[in-house]
Amino acid sequence: MEPLIQVRDMCKVYNPGENEVHALDHINLTVQKGEFLAIIGQSGSGKSTLMNMLGCLDVPTSGEYHLNGSDVAAMNDNELSVIRNKEIGFIFQGFNLIPNLTALENVELPLIYRGIDRKTRKTLAVNSLRMVGLEKRMTHKPSEMSGGQQQRVAIARAIAAKPPVILADEPTGNLDSASSKEILQILKEMHRDGKTIILITHDDGIAAQARRVVRILDGRIESDVINPNFS
Amino acid sequence: MSNFIEYVKMAIHNIMANKGRSFLTMLGIIIGIASVIMIMSVGQGTTNQMNEEIDSAGAGQIQVMCSNDAMNAGEYITPEDMDALMDQIPGVEAVAPGSGWTGTTATGKGDFSISLTGATETQPLFSTTQIKRGHYFNAQDVEEARKVCVISDKDAKRLFGSDDVVGMDIDVEYNNISKSFTIVGVTQQPENGTFVTYTYEGMPVYIDVPYTALQEYDDSYNEFYYIVVLADREMDSSAVSDQVVKVLDARHQSAGEDYFQVQSFQDIMATLNTMMGAITGFISFVAGISLLVGGIGVMNIMLVSVTERTREIGIRKSLGAKTSSIMAQFLAESAILTVLGGFIGILLGLAGAYGICTILSSSQGMDLSPGFSIPMVLGATLFSCAVGIFFGIYPARKAARLSPIEALRRN
Ligand SMILES: Nc1ncnc2c1ncn2[C@@H]1O[C@H](COP(=O)(O)OP(=O)(O)OP(=O)(O)O)[C@@H](O)[C@H]1O
Ligand SMILES: [Mg+2]
Repeated sequence: MEPLIQVRDMCKVYNPGENEVHALDHINLTVQKGEFLAIIGQSGSGKSTLMNMLGCLDVPTSGEYHLNGSDVAAMNDNELSVIRNKEIGFIFQGFNLIPNLTALENVELPLIYRGIDRKTRKTLAVNSLRMVGLEKRMTHKPSEMSGGQQQRVAIARAIAAKPPVILADEPTGNLDSASSKEILQILKEMHRDGKTIILITHDDGIAAQARRVVRILDGRIESDVINPNFS
Repeated sequence: MSNFIEYVKMAIHNIMANKGRSFLTMLGIIIGIASVIMIMSVGQGTTNQMNEEIDSAGAGQIQVMCSNDAMNAGEYITPEDMDALMDQIPGVEAVAPGSGWTGTTATGKGDFSISLTGATETQPLFSTTQIKRGHYFNAQDVEEARKVCVISDKDAKRLFGSDDVVGMDIDVEYNNISKSFTIVGVTQQPENGTFVTYTYEGMPVYIDVPYTALQEYDDSYNEFYYIVVLADREMDSSAVSDQVVKVLDARHQSAGEDYFQVQSFQDIMATLNTMMGAITGFISFVAGISLLVGGIGVMNIMLVSVTERTREIGIRKSLGAKTSSIMAQFLAESAILTVLGGFIGILLGLAGAYGICTILSSSQGMDLSPGFSIPMVLGATLFSCAVGIFFGIYPARKAARLSPIEALRRN
């Protein structure tokens, strides 16, 4: 079977020339469809940078990235938009909610760009918010919600359209252990449904829940192991 | 594009979220469109009013003049020429001799100068003036050169203090000859219009007399260097004019001599209307410049909005918005602002035009109402729409072309 994600020799250099930062340093990574993968590493090790590459938000300085067998570097702006919209559900580390939209409207956004009709869209968005336990906060704006609630809106937005790939950058970073557990439960359910989950964390406890754990350090993959305890 | 409605909704959402700013942005467009509409409709109203008044005073009239060459050669228009014009040209309804002069008269009310117009019985056809008392003089009066006259009610009041004057005499002195004319009819003088004035203090008293009756003062009463032909109002008066010249040239054997010159009422009206149109057009153009400035204002605010919302654009793109979707959203925003501004501007402009006309009507004694037409309003709407799209394109492109990660990184 063709791998879902195939990264070869990927490098990302910020500020080339002076003050160079080698955020990604010859990364090689293959992810199959339906995997549940945790990427773990210290702050500044390059996790978010890698996630941006995988999510087709940024382009690497060098190296190749094939998604579903097609070369991402060869895609034009529109094709990339379609991939971000249909293939990938992105949970940002900084939430990235639109401040003047309500929780519900924020969750609806990717569905609008998919061209889903109003009624279906509403249903999907409401269901998704319900899954993250925010059915009572649907008409609230981000500024009227706690950090953890905002994070859950971001999660609801990423999973609303049930994309085949979920890229989650520290999705439980702002949550208490009980809420974290719920979120992990949702991700696990989606995995059981056949989705591919890539989860970034710096918490070994959370990483331990994934089937495969990739550890990165200073932009390099340090280890890549299958979790024997995965249930 | 089924998503179009969604982009319009997003645009409206954002306009409503920034009400104050949106209104200020629209203000430029509102002022621009309002001034253009106001000027155009006051201009149109003025033109309409002018046409109407002048039309009732002189539609269908063709002035015929003898040139200097003709007069040097001793060729004048004669009563026989006038009969020929009536008989030979279909559509000629009446011909009036251009004869008359101003003499003096004295009544119990004082001394007046009095202007005698030598006329025929067809004179009433030339205007819409109504007879109030008595009757106009008839063909026989003209034939027999009876010394009768017709006067307006206003002038009658000036001379006698009453318009119940049928049967009274007016003594007219001219050339040291004094004759009296018996009043047979009193006309109802039309109210003064905005553009056509019928009388004012200090003007001579006007009376119509049979032109033949003028012979007792002056032998040249039956040679005219100037006559007025009245053509059927429905007919093309320039065709009638050509025929008038042809008939006169034939009778005076003056073909090619340019003895007779005509100017039809239509020509005069056309010139006037062109002038009014040019004036209105020019002022509208100046007002249109403010519309351009309004458009630049829209562009400016949209650029600010794009800068402010860079992060939002990044989020939208990262969630799958295409360049065209972002473009549509921002274009919709500027288009809605300008169309809404245009709409308010049209209403304000029309209200302003009504206001101006009402003020002018009451303070200047004018009788104006604004003239506006569907094409004018449609044109203004389309124009403001075009302004919005034109000035919205640059900011929208700027927004749409941002790379998602660059946009997300900005705060
Ligand atoms: N836009 C940028 N310009 C310059 N350097 C950058 C930029 N973004 C990230 N870096 C640098 O690249 C390195 C990797 O950053 P990245 O955000 O990927 O780390 P991370 O693993 O996600 O860290 P954290 O756990 O704190 O989120 C860091 O040293 C960071 O300073
Ligand atoms: Mg990070």
